[in-house]
Amino acid sequence: MSPAIDTQTKRWPWPAAAIALAVPLAFVVVSPADTVQGNLVRIMYVHVPAAWLAYLAFIVTMVGSVAYLVSKGMRWDRIAAASAEVGVYFTGLTLVLGMIWGKPTWGVWWTWDARLTLTAIMFFVYLGYLALRRTSTDGRSRAQRSAVLGVLGVVMIPLVHFSVTWWRTLHQPPTIIRPDGPQIDDPLMLAALLVGVAGFTVVYAALVSKRMELARVEDAIVRAESTADLPVAGEAVTAPNLARGQGESA
Amino acid sequence: MDPVVVLEGIGVRIGGDTILRDVELELARGETLGLFGANGAGKTTLLRLMATLLAPSHGGGTVVGVDIAGNDYTSARPSIGYVGHTPGLYGELTLRENIRFSASIAGIGEAEADAALGAVGLAGAADRRVEATSHGMQRRAEFALQLARKPRLLLLDEPHSALDAAAVDLVESLVERTTAVGGAAVLVSHDRERVAAAADRTVELKSGTLV
Amino acid sequence: MTVSMWSQARSVARRDLIRERRRGEVLWITVPFGAIALLMFPLAIGTDARLLEQIGPGVFWVIVMLFGILISIRQAATETTAQRDALALLGLDPAAGFAGRSISAAALLFVFEVVVGAVAFVLYDIPLIGIPWLFVILPLVALGLGMLGSIAAGVVAAGHSGAGLVPFLVAPLSVPLLLAATQAFEGLRLGRPILNWVLLMVIIVLVLAVIGTLTARPLQESR
Repeated sequence: MSPAIDTQTKRWPWPAAAIALAVPLAFVVVSPADTVQGNLVRIMYVHVPAAWLAYLAFIVTMVGSVAYLVSKGMRWDRIAAASAEVGVYFTGLTLVLGMIWGKPTWGVWWTWDARLTLTAIMFFVYLGYLALRRTSTDGRSRAQRSAVLGVLGVVMIPLVHFSVTWWRTLHQPPTIIRPDGPQIDDPLMLAALLVGVAGFTVVYAALVSKRMELARVEDAIVRAESTADLPVAGEAVTAPNLARGQGESA
Repeated sequence: MDPVVVLEGIGVRIGGDTILRDVELELARGETLGLFGANGAGKTTLLRLMATLLAPSHGGGTVVGVDIAGNDYTSARPSIGYVGHTPGLYGELTLRENIRFSASIAGIGEAEADAALGAVGLAGAADRRVEATSHGMQRRAEFALQLARKPRLLLLDEPHSALDAAAVDLVESLVERTTAVGGAAVLVSHDRERVAAAADRTVELKSGTLV
Repeated sequence: MTVSMWSQARSVARRDLIRERRRGEVLWITVPFGAIALLMFPLAIGTDARLLEQIGPGVFWVIVMLFGILISIRQAATETTAQRDALALLGLDPAAGFAGRSISAAALLFVFEVVVGAVAFVLYDIPLIGIPWLFVILPLVALGLGMLGSIAAGVVAAGHSGAGLVPFLVAPLSVPLLLAATQAFEGLRLGRPILNWVLLMVIIVLVLAVIGTLTARPLQESR
């Protein structure tokens, strides 16, 4: 007899996410084209919120990791993991959008801008975090090790940030247009940006909440199996039944 | 007197597999337990659990008076002597270097470590690298370490494998030394008769539980 | 019966170095491998002497970072479950284990830096300026990389999940060390002050020492 698995799901995330995406989208459409960048500026309304969410997500991962190490509550591990997954997604989105914007703007897909470089490194750090989580299904041990990496990652990020910025400022600036970002003078543009950030934050919360729900069900299944009357692993080994002389010529 | 081992309702899951369930076991001072079972029955898992190397998924208990599911389980370790069926020695080091290294971690003097190596009959081979020694010699070296450590709970996984007749006696005297001073020993084997001869009582591990 | 942490750390470091001396993996495999890499760069991008002199230090440091991981990965790749169990039961303080492994890895990395650095000096005709600084920069990088590798190896080894993940975890996190080392060299070449970069290395080493020590126990306890 296995305990019932709590599959109750929250209803708010998907509608909330849909609304949260629709509003910024409307702003992206109605906001004016930039005098210099033209319609390219519209990419910024997604790029900037995505970047902000990436940072937020990794901060949440750090908080979850530290809280897990202190309290050993599995909930914190789920928060850290869910946030890292969503964070990697948003980091990837940030990088790709940045490149799409960069090619027509600067003439190159990639510039060695400090912020861009840092974002790329962050992407790989947390991709590693997710890769580590994939190597084990044993809840406790995985939570422990991931939390250590979560902390290491976050402590190193400021050092990466610092060194990369310093490295950039000591070098010749790129010969192409420096990526100072668009100057915002139109109130509608600023509104589009702010609404985008707010909307993406809701989307982030929705995704993390759903992902945690999934993780909780996964954990519950593992727990249910452990108390269920399943045959133990050793049962798979039975007595050899190779009769004497079989397979050989007598 | 407090028992050396108390296990209550122990269940162990590794990955998605249930290895042990509802294991109840009590080991009194001075007792030697023979534990046998088929391949894959969970003997090694149970031994590693008693060695505090594995945490129970269910249930709990104490080993040398320490709660195995609690936060302080490492404090039991100095009193536990575990010899697994694969030796944990370093192939590039000599037998002497190996035992001296282990001794230095555990806080045992070099002279004592060397003496233990002599006691198991390896004095002459002490400067051979482990990779050039037989499995039986490596087991003897691990027994030597336990001789020097004097644990209260001795856990031996397949202690008789790869041993010659003289070394089999060595297992017995190691067990006797432990139990004589109020410790306990567990001998794991798939060979029921051999274990029955050396133990006070035997239990069989079947379907993940003791029968 | 309790043994001081430093005495345990010393035993672990000594064990690692004896093992390495007998296997000779760093000296006979990783060092030649690094030297071949130094040989390959000019073949791929051209042999102009000025170009080589300019890229030489950077190529050297990239090779130290990437191949250095091979050195710090070794413990994760070679330590068996039985060996880990034995150490845990002997009462090895996890922080002592971290310190010992990091020190031995750092010593081996330092040897790697010196030998491969000598090869780079010859092949790329790198001007030797500020030699005293080398005795600060090389050990600091070795120590930082050794600790980074030890932490990553611990994160992975505790789960028996194979050592293949370690390089991927270490590489992005070694970026500050790479920048500090290359910029310090660049500063020496151009006669600029490099104290800031050296201080950055010191901070990285200290941060890693703190994290490694604090996380050693949770890592080992993930039983």
